[in-house]
Amino acid sequence: MYFQKKHCVAMLLAGGQGSRLKVLTENTAKPAVPFGGKYRIIDFPLSNCVNSHIDTVGILTQYQPLELNEYIGNGQPWRLNGSHGGVQVLPPYARAKEAVWYKGTANAIYQNIPFIDRYHPDNVLILSGDHIYKMDYDKMLRYHEAQKADCTIAVRTVPMEEAPRFGIMNTREDGTIYEFEEKPAHPKSNLASMGIYIFRWSVLKQFLEADEADPSSENDFGKNIIPAIIAGGYKMLAYEFSGYWKDVGTISSLWEANMDTLGENPAFDLRKEAGGLVYARNYAQPSSYIAPTAVISNSFIAEGCTVHGRVDHSVISTACTIGAGAYIADSVIMPDVVIENGAEIHHAIIAEGSVIKSGAVIGEKQEGELSDLQITVIGKDKTIAPGQTIAPGAVI
Amino acid sequence: MEAMGIIFSNIYDSSMGELTGERTSAAIPFAGRYRQIDFALSSMASAGIRHIGIITKTNYESLMNHLGSCQEWDLTLEDVGVVLLPPYAIGHTGIYRGKLEALYSALNVLKNAKQDYVVLSDTTVLAAVDYKDALRKHIASGKDITILTKKMNGNGRKYLMAVECGDDLTPTDMIADYTINGVMDISMGMFIISRQRLIEAIEATVPHGKYHFERDFILEGFNCGSLSINVYPFEKTALFNESLIEYYENSMKLFDEQVRQDLFRSSIPIYTKTRNEVPTFYGDRAQVAECIIADGCSIHGACRRSVLFREAKIESDAAIENCVIMQGCTVGRGAQLQNVILDKDVVIKPYTKLNGSAEHPLYIKKGATV
Repeated sequence: MYFQKKHCVAMLLAGGQGSRLKVLTENTAKPAVPFGGKYRIIDFPLSNCVNSHIDTVGILTQYQPLELNEYIGNGQPWRLNGSHGGVQVLPPYARAKEAVWYKGTANAIYQNIPFIDRYHPDNVLILSGDHIYKMDYDKMLRYHEAQKADCTIAVRTVPMEEAPRFGIMNTREDGTIYEFEEKPAHPKSNLASMGIYIFRWSVLKQFLEADEADPSSENDFGKNIIPAIIAGGYKMLAYEFSGYWKDVGTISSLWEANMDTLGENPAFDLRKEAGGLVYARNYAQPSSYIAPTAVISNSFIAEGCTVHGRVDHSVISTACTIGAGAYIADSVIMPDVVIENGAEIHHAIIAEGSVIKSGAVIGEKQEGELSDLQITVIGKDKTIAPGQTIAPGAVI
Repeated sequence: MEAMGIIFSNIYDSSMGELTGERTSAAIPFAGRYRQIDFALSSMASAGIRHIGIITKTNYESLMNHLGSCQEWDLTLEDVGVVLLPPYAIGHTGIYRGKLEALYSALNVLKNAKQDYVVLSDTTVLAAVDYKDALRKHIASGKDITILTKKMNGNGRKYLMAVECGDDLTPTDMIADYTINGVMDISMGMFIISRQRLIEAIEATVPHGKYHFERDFILEGFNCGSLSINVYPFEKTALFNESLIEYYENSMKLFDEQVRQDLFRSSIPIYTKTRNEVPTFYGDRAQVAECIIADGCSIHGACRRSVLFREAKIESDAAIENCVIMQGCTVGRGAQLQNVILDKDVVIKPYTKLNGSAEHPLYIKKGATV
């Protein structure tokens, strides 16, 4: 079989357990968690690939891959169904002697060296499946090549006081990285790694093989591969990205990123005019019906919904029903949720397929900083009984 | 038993007025996100009908653009999927006068098909039809042809065909191409017939100058007793969009819950072209009551009893009532619209006032700036 040579192949790490998202990732891989009314988290890196002319993407899955596999399908929604390349879901698989889980991010790529080698790429782009952002990887790739770098890492500036929470890149004046510090107590810089790397494939492959041979390694990009490449004297560059970017690995960051899509001039603009179209798998849902009793402000409402109640500063996903007298504020309602008459929901995330019976109250109205807010979470396919009260911050 | 499908994309083009100025009736937008053909195509796809010929006449460019490779209808999997039969492929007459003549041009497709039955459908009657059930009942009836009908009042409008029939679902009277007053079983323009019988009918009628499927084939066969006919009364909502005023009235019927439930059943999902718009954004001052709204709109004004297609923009202080706003339209700040149909990409300038009436909605043509 003939494999077209690719300039750059993307590898998307979608295998994290996502345990900080609690019930939302109980039966769903983190990248498959719904976002922004009609998307899933993985739509963002995949759409970035398409918008950056990268047509070959490997998705490394591990936990709860069923729903994610089904969602990706043949990659057609992202135009990744071409006959050369396209999208491939790459689960760990049993070899002749042993079945091995991906031990770490580096090991996941190591196990798929044969997949990458088929395309003889000059470069490999490593992405995470749990970030919300729009980015032109092609621009980064052109920078990487123009500078003749062996590795280029996307970074963004964070407030100095928050730097101890991130992987920090310490750079020289010319932008080359001389040191990587994971969550430093006393940071020397405020350039945080975004977990987006471009490697010259010949260099990465060599380091992956060496890393695999080292039994003491945790087989992790941040902890092992990056420091080893720096120590080896290779040219590693920081590439600064100033657009919106959010790691949605926690309940509050997932809630906040959804809220960031709302408003006249949203912090994160989903529209095509703002940094490219976001592609998603579409399901056959009719247009939404907004009843005479509905009151809606500063909200997104996706197709297939029926709205009789009041919706304020919220994201309502595909195929939800909101009964008369129900009130939803500052909340994220995922697809196929039914909210019956008179139910009240504040500062909450309601996962797919749940039913909130009439008169139930979820969370309460809160003011203040994000860090003070208590986001209530109702997991997938749960039923909240009529009149039941769920305390703020509870996770059901 | 398997069936193939034939869809006539443009039988009512001439009566639809300006809606078909630049498009065939199959491509008329409906219900916020669909084109009329989506209903016929999706009903067939749901019944496992995979081989479908779409007969076109003129103005079929927007239809081709809409259908693409038909992947949204899951109709690309077979070696013979959907075939478009444009006029240049018509060997006999060039432009045809009726469905029989149009079918004459599809003779090769019919002869080469492997399926035993053919489901024929126009695109102007919008319904989610269970063709599996209809085909089963057609076969059980042992008749030559089944006509799908909707019992309703003709209200003095002209229909291609209507029947009167008793409980045994056999017609006692039939009329074709005639004004209907009172309640009758009115043909939905959907028929089931064996492929062999259809080929025979085409070859027996068209060479003799006959072209009208309902009048020259069915009615004539009924009158001389050479065609046995079964009626399939359709129980759920069927919307007949055969003129601009019907199109408008039917758009307003979408606010009825029963109508929406009948048209959008989970057992027969209606597919359409994917466009990847963002969800619709409702601003701080949006007032929306009794509306059908597709994705990709941004609403800052007041909307009452209106249908908003994808990417419609209603600016602040604008007010629309009883309107159909098609894809990509902008209603400027402070504009007031009542009983208006805006075709695609119309721009209404700020503070413009436009009024139609329920009987005569004002139609603004595609791309106009008012």
